[in-house]
Amino acid sequence: MEVNIIQIPDKPHAIIFQFSGEMDSDKIGMINDTFSQINSNINYVIVNVKSVQMISSSVIGELMGYRKQMIEKGGDLVIAGIDFSIRTKLNLIGLTKIFRIFSDPRSALNAYRWEIERHAEKIHVSFPSHLKIVPPVRQLISRIAKQKGYGNRDSFRLETIVDEICNNAVEHGMSGSELSIKLNMEIDPEKVELDVTNTSDPEKMASLKALLKPKNNNDIKLDERRGRGLALIKMLTDELSVDCSGTGTSVHIKKVREE
Amino acid sequence: MDIIFPYKVSVRFPGDLEYIPPIRKFVSELLQVSNFSPKFAYRSEIIVDEICNNAVNYGCRTSNAEIELICEIFEDRIEFTINDQGSTKENLDQLMSVIKQPIDPEKDIQHGLGLEIVRMLSENVDVVIDEKNLTSVHIVRKREDIEQK
Amino acid sequence: MESQIELIYEDIKGKHNVKLVQFVGDLDATNVETVSEKICNLLNEGYVNIIADFKKLRYVNSTGLGTLLHFSKTAKEKNGSFKIANINENVYEIIEIIGATSLLEIYDELEEAIKALD
Repeated sequence: MEVNIIQIPDKPHAIIFQFSGEMDSDKIGMINDTFSQINSNINYVIVNVKSVQMISSSVIGELMGYRKQMIEKGGDLVIAGIDFSIRTKLNLIGLTKIFRIFSDPRSALNAYRWEIERHAEKIHVSFPSHLKIVPPVRQLISRIAKQKGYGNRDSFRLETIVDEICNNAVEHGMSGSELSIKLNMEIDPEKVELDVTNTSDPEKMASLKALLKPKNNNDIKLDERRGRGLALIKMLTDELSVDCSGTGTSVHIKKVREE
Repeated sequence: MDIIFPYKVSVRFPGDLEYIPPIRKFVSELLQVSNFSPKFAYRSEIIVDEICNNAVNYGCRTSNAEIELICEIFEDRIEFTINDQGSTKENLDQLMSVIKQPIDPEKDIQHGLGLEIVRMLSENVDVVIDEKNLTSVHIVRKREDIEQK
Repeated sequence: MESQIELIYEDIKGKHNVKLVQFVGDLDATNVETVSEKICNLLNEGYVNIIADFKKLRYVNSTGLGTLLHFSKTAKEKNGSFKIANINENVYEIIEIIGATSLLEIYDELEEAIKALD
């Protein structure tokens, strides 16, 4: 058995142990030595078993002990590098009940960034100012939220918010295939922030500004033809701001995760 | 009001596999609202999936790497360009060997199947690797006969 | 998180080492791990003959296909089989493109796949 210790440049609290060969019970001493070398501030260990031929149950037991230590430090010990052939070879029944398993170390690091560092992830979409494009865009954002673990209710609300903001951006902006609407999404485990910017149509700015007047925001009549979208966005979000000072109108919202 | 062709949509997202399912479905829906057939949309969904998987697996060296997918939708075709943020020499060698040599699914069921599918589903596939090891893949897929719509 | 897929298991009367597995959703790079583990567990538990019902499998990509080929290979190594039935046109086309139709046991109907076990 051999072990290669890989430090991660911008992640002082995470480390990768790349084992190879046979991890049987007489290698426990070597495994313990490896763990004793790591810095005390490390709380996330990725055990890469891609080149491992066998793992004995006593080694799994030992790793469980180290996992407990990492969890106590607010982190985890996870297994990476398991694909189907390794799984059948190692006969790892039930391993997923004990450890979190990732196909490769990078996915394990991504999970660390998201779950432990609570790192926000950014998505940028640019699309033409056309109402027909809005449904695919709103579903994209809703699906991303679901994929990142947000519940159905939060994802559905986000879909509504994106729909309303983008419809407004199309309605109040210049249209044409060459002009695009830019949507930036920042998502972390607690909240989503969205910025939607169009190219403003000067002729439509007066009506937009009228909608944005405080009295309209606080007292929207539901039977009015306009302004319902903005009222809905306001109700569904935790923060809403509109900036019409540049060549485009930017709407910024923040939505805190509820579920 | 109908959509005016051509138009361009771009998405930039973190180099993580979990973003790919929403993105490939997004492209499929874009094509359907642009009056392409469900079959064309489905096949394009596969192309997007495979090229994004390759970009994530081969072209994301750092943990904050991003992938950019650009779709140019014309009346008769779609063109995809996918840019990654740099790869290692080993990854690129592996990628190039897959590009040069068609794979045999019986022998190697893990690598290269994706690009083979992309090749079969599109008219043209170009892979450009620049001096900084940044990879850009450009794919053209034409609309099928009107009967298939 | 994973793309959506659900596996539904059923036993087949009178056949102790067979499991019928319904695949519902999309099989792709984000969920092959989970699916692999589940199928692998079935094979290791002695269900060496697996009949996969693909009626509700909407989507498969090359990673998913690679895994299906693995299932077939592993089942054969255990003197069993991995049979696919009710496959939709889109999914079949992808398997065909890769030239894997001859590497997988594909049946039109579920009954045919069950019958082939005898």
